[in-house]
Amino acid sequence: MSVNIQVKKIWQEDARTLGILWTTGKKSLIDSVKLREACRCALCVDEWSGESKITPGSIGDDVRPIVVQSVGRYALNVHFTDGHTTGIYTFDYLHEIF
Amino acid sequence: MGIFGKKKPAVSEQQIKEALSQVQDPDLHQDIVSLGFVKKIDFHKGKVSLIVELTTPACPMKEMLRDQCVDVVKAIEGVEDVSIEMTAQTHRARAIPDLVQGALGQVKNIIAVASGKGGVGKSTSAVNLAFALQQKGSKVGLLDADIYGPSIMQMTKVGKPEETKGDFIVPPIFAGVKIISVAMFTEAKQAQLLRGPMVAQIIKQFLTQIDWGELDYLIIDYPPGTGDIQLTLSQIAPITGAVVVTTPQEVALIDVRKAISMFETMKVPVLGVVETMSYFMCPGSEKKHFIFGKNGGRKVADENGVPLLGEIPIEPVVAENSDKGKPVVISDSNALASLAYNHIAGQLAAQQSIVNSQSDRALTHFKLEWV
Ligand SMILES: Nc1ncnc2c1ncn2[C@@H]1O[C@H](COP(=O)(O)OP(=O)(O)OP(=O)(O)O)[C@@H](O)[C@H]1O
Ligand SMILES: [Mg+2]
Repeated sequence: MSVNIQVKKIWQEDARTLGILWTTGKKSLIDSVKLREACRCALCVDEWSGESKITPGSIGDDVRPIVVQSVGRYALNVHFTDGHTTGIYTFDYLHEIF
Repeated sequence: MGIFGKKKPAVSEQQIKEALSQVQDPDLHQDIVSLGFVKKIDFHKGKVSLIVELTTPACPMKEMLRDQCVDVVKAIEGVEDVSIEMTAQTHRARAIPDLVQGALGQVKNIIAVASGKGGVGKSTSAVNLAFALQQKGSKVGLLDADIYGPSIMQMTKVGKPEETKGDFIVPPIFAGVKIISVAMFTEAKQAQLLRGPMVAQIIKQFLTQIDWGELDYLIIDYPPGTGDIQLTLSQIAPITGAVVVTTPQEVALIDVRKAISMFETMKVPVLGVVETMSYFMCPGSEKKHFIFGKNGGRKVADENGVPLLGEIPIEPVVAENSDKGKPVVISDSNALASLAYNHIAGQLAAQQSIVNSQSDRALTHFKLEWV
């Protein structure tokens, strides 16, 4: 279990990029659309195959976060401008893919 | 030593420190020198001896850290022998209010074992985790606060308290763990009839009048659910972390979320989720049967941003030994469930250490509004 990655700093880098500095020292600059596409919530992922149900290119290029907030000790939730609010991203997952 | 003799380079404390600073605590993401874990460095000729102090005796990484320390120090030129004493000092994250100072003043970590609903294996987990922590070298107390259904006097062979110290009751000890149960003071039948304010009064007595002494961990078996009693308990006892126990079923998970959010509202860090009755393995077979569904604990942990501390299989010996007053981790250390409880105890201790040391290094709560 490597759930011990924490956020040291989180900020809006520019109009479409989220910045996170992790306690591991790694810095992730995450594009809004990529973040939306990476959602692993029950609506976005096939329960049985575990594969993403989001078809590439289907997320509008103008999709942005509205708010990014911590959930529990190891995850964050994002509300997006396309109305999607159920996305919960574990720190572990974000740290790994971005 | 002549001019042709090869002079051995003298080893300096600085060199040893530099070497040790290559060793990282994988949980805290920092090296052990800057974390202040290296308490003593002695060296004499080629012999180096160290004292390294971790944040919990139950540290799951203890052996790995020791090996790494030995390796890096041995790599210094001129060092021939390294001996390391690994010690541990648990730290306290929350101040102790005056009301409970006498009872809990020397207790470092107070961990609530809670569940959204009854019958999920919460008490069995609380008891076995307490004994697992004790076996790893921690000083442990166990408080059965399940006022309507206390069970720890049946699950262990603990007797009633016989000693007092001033106004305080000295907890009896069973297999190295100090144990107090509501059942020691009230008759089970009587408890059913108690009304809210009286329950609160009993809980208060209970938390203020026991002489726990010095403990690394006090494990509290909470009553199931998320009502007033649980709130009262968490308000009076300075809980440093909570563990939420669940079975994998979907229906159980709704209540787990409630329990997690109850602790979050009270600013008690949720150390993680324990999934019990996760699977059944037929004796002699390696195949896991997921009787109550699969991955429920993982799902609820991820959704709530807390770790899954581990999964405990369904194993008849757990229930049998429990009914005989012999928790499985002490009576059958090779049982799968015992291995699982031991693993979880280590994870639990690690999570509590992380929470205790984290305040200044990580953002625990944030909300970023996009502009
Ligand atoms: N891993 C396991 N394998 C087999 N039986 C188990 C296991 N864990 C618990 N049990 C059994 O399940 C029953 C319920 O467990 P336990 O009393 O710990 O649950 P609880 O959540 O504390 O319940 P309550 O809400 O009544 O306090 C007990 O008979 C116990 O022995
Ligand atoms: Mg119980």
